Amino acid sequence: MKTIIIGLGNPILGDDGVGWKVAEEIERQLPQIRSDEGEQVDVVYLSLGGLGLMEHLIGYDRAILIDAFATNDQPGSILIMKLNELPNYSAYHTTSAHDTSLQDAIEFGKSMGAKLPEDVEVVGITTVRVHDFCEALSPPVADVVSFAARIVLDLLQQIPIHHKEQFV
Amino acid sequence: MTQRISIDPITRLEGHGKIEIFLNEQGNVANTYFQIPELRGFERFVIGRPIEEMPLLTNRICGVCPEAHHMAAAKAADAVYHVDPPRTAKMLRELLYSAFYCTDHTTHFYALGGPDFVMGPDAPVAERNILGVIHKVGLEIGGKVIQMRRYGHTVVEMIGGRKIHPCTSIPGGITKGITEKQRKEIEEMGRWAVEFAQFSLKLFNDIVLGNKGYLDLILGDVYTHRTYYMGLVDANNKVNFYDGKVRVVDPNGKEFCTYAPNEYMNHIAEHVEPWTYLKFPYLKNVGWKGFVDGIDSGIYMATPLSRLNASDGMATPLAQEQYEKFYATLGSKPVHQRLATHWARLIELLYAAERWVELVTDPEIASPDVHTKPTQTPTEGIGIVEAPRGTLTHHYWTDERGIVTKANLIVGTTNNYAPIQMSTKKAAQSLIHNGNVNEGLLNMVEMAFRAYDPCFGCATHSLPGQMPLEITVRDADGNPLEVLKQFC
Repeated sequence: MKTIIIGLGNPILGDDGVGWKVAEEIERQLPQIRSDEGEQVDVVYLSLGGLGLMEHLIGYDRAILIDAFATNDQPGSILIMKLNELPNYSAYHTTSAHDTSLQDAIEFGKSMGAKLPEDVEVVGITTVRVHDFCEALSPPVADVVSFAARIVLDLLQQIPIHHKEQFV
Repeated sequence: MTQRISIDPITRLEGHGKIEIFLNEQGNVANTYFQIPELRGFERFVIGRPIEEMPLLTNRICGVCPEAHHMAAAKAADAVYHVDPPRTAKMLRELLYSAFYCTDHTTHFYALGGPDFVMGPDAPVAERNILGVIHKVGLEIGGKVIQMRRYGHTVVEMIGGRKIHPCTSIPGGITKGITEKQRKEIEEMGRWAVEFAQFSLKLFNDIVLGNKGYLDLILGDVYTHRTYYMGLVDANNKVNFYDGKVRVVDPNGKEFCTYAPNEYMNHIAEHVEPWTYLKFPYLKNVGWKGFVDGIDSGIYMATPLSRLNASDGMATPLAQEQYEKFYATLGSKPVHQRLATHWARLIELLYAAERWVELVTDPEIASPDVHTKPTQTPTEGIGIVEAPRGTLTHHYWTDERGIVTKANLIVGTTNNYAPIQMSTKKAAQSLIHNGNVNEGLLNMVEMAFRAYDPCFGCATHSLPGQMPLEITVRDADGNPLEVLKQFC
């Protein structure tokens, strides 16, 4: 099985770079954890959305995205959800400023015959400051980087639901 | 236990388009304010870093057009070192940039601007996206869009070193050339891109121009403003994306000024409003007269439509034919109707594809002479390119070691902040009468700013990856009457 772990965000825009920091931590720990034969796990760093992000998922069975989230929760809170649990804004009036939503991009790619993961999981970290250029994370966000990496590594050990169904 | 998770798009990075509409005592529009969050501090962030880092660092400003920032910063870095890159290096940069333009303009037309026309502005909102387009026009189109994007990414990677965030432009040129094998591959892809651009223009011709209702919509008054227009031109006053002088024409199409990049401060000033962090650039020698159009107002626009208006034509033959058809069909030059920007964008797509082929078939394109070593003491430099969303200016000052001491950037969309403000107001005025808010308001406003393809947040990378819009209509006392959002 091929899995892609994507750190999303802008590494020079404060807490928006948390996805990259978590991905770096995962990359450091990954060799010690994964040794199964036939498994491929790629860790990449992107600042993309919509069609561009979808194009990076082509050929993978599973994807885990790590991104900065703006929520009403405490800064540093970690949210784990499936992509289809996120709102798909492009179904409404004003969609992206420049692109389509990732959900629509994936549907578009699949209708074009591209092999795309059935399972896209999203790990979001609630941020404090994402509008100021800065390479450092805010303390509550920096504090959870290792924990978020641990969560992603744990997710990686679990077999995604659609694969379980295939085996039944 | 069920936990409800609320993801608040209001603070999303991409920028929350927030529009406040104030009505007068009769219930008609008195004023509108389009506010967006600005990313702050980039010009401070770069101080103390070497100028060589700027082409790498600045392409992190924006998740949408890193190539534009890479090029503007590289040109500025050339100027800081007073070095002129070899001809091949300039051509390779422009070749990369042409491929990037093809990708960017394709995405905009098929994923954003096109659906309003292909599906129709009155089609259900859930269908007005790229999926709706392929369902209506056919899967074949989707395949072509994917192919065009793939080819664009491939060329950017071959020349720029990476698929996105290119890293090969340095002061004095570029770090590596291309091989003859790569040249042939790039040529083949470029020839396909020319065919794709022609196909896209034919699609526009059949679906939009063949429909009187759409043509009336484009030519209607709601999206019309008589402003100045800006664009980069070559020595023959033809459109160029990578290099040349900035030309500005007045609302009657007469040349107002043409200036070299290092003269921009003599021509552009920035107006500040108390209700937004973002500044409004305007023509210094005309002056700021408020959010009004006309020859006495210094407001200008910098978009695909502006570039066509500000030039005398396209430098490649097929695009030139389309340029002539554009003005013959719309009846005058300059064209003031903002929705015509979608058509102009496709003409630019064809130009970019033709230019791609022109450059890759130049006898010197695979030459290994791609770098001139800088030898002079670095001082100050300005680089200007046309980003897809408008004229992009990078200006750096350094000390004698090449360490940045000051920076000033005017990004593409900023040029258009004032025109977007005016279009928003006009759309609101056409749909709000005596306190009655027409339900088509969101759609009309959306179509207005989609034409400009604004890039306020300068980062569309994060999830959910969208730009929500919220409109608040307030009465004469400032009390909210109605709040409209694009998701409920």
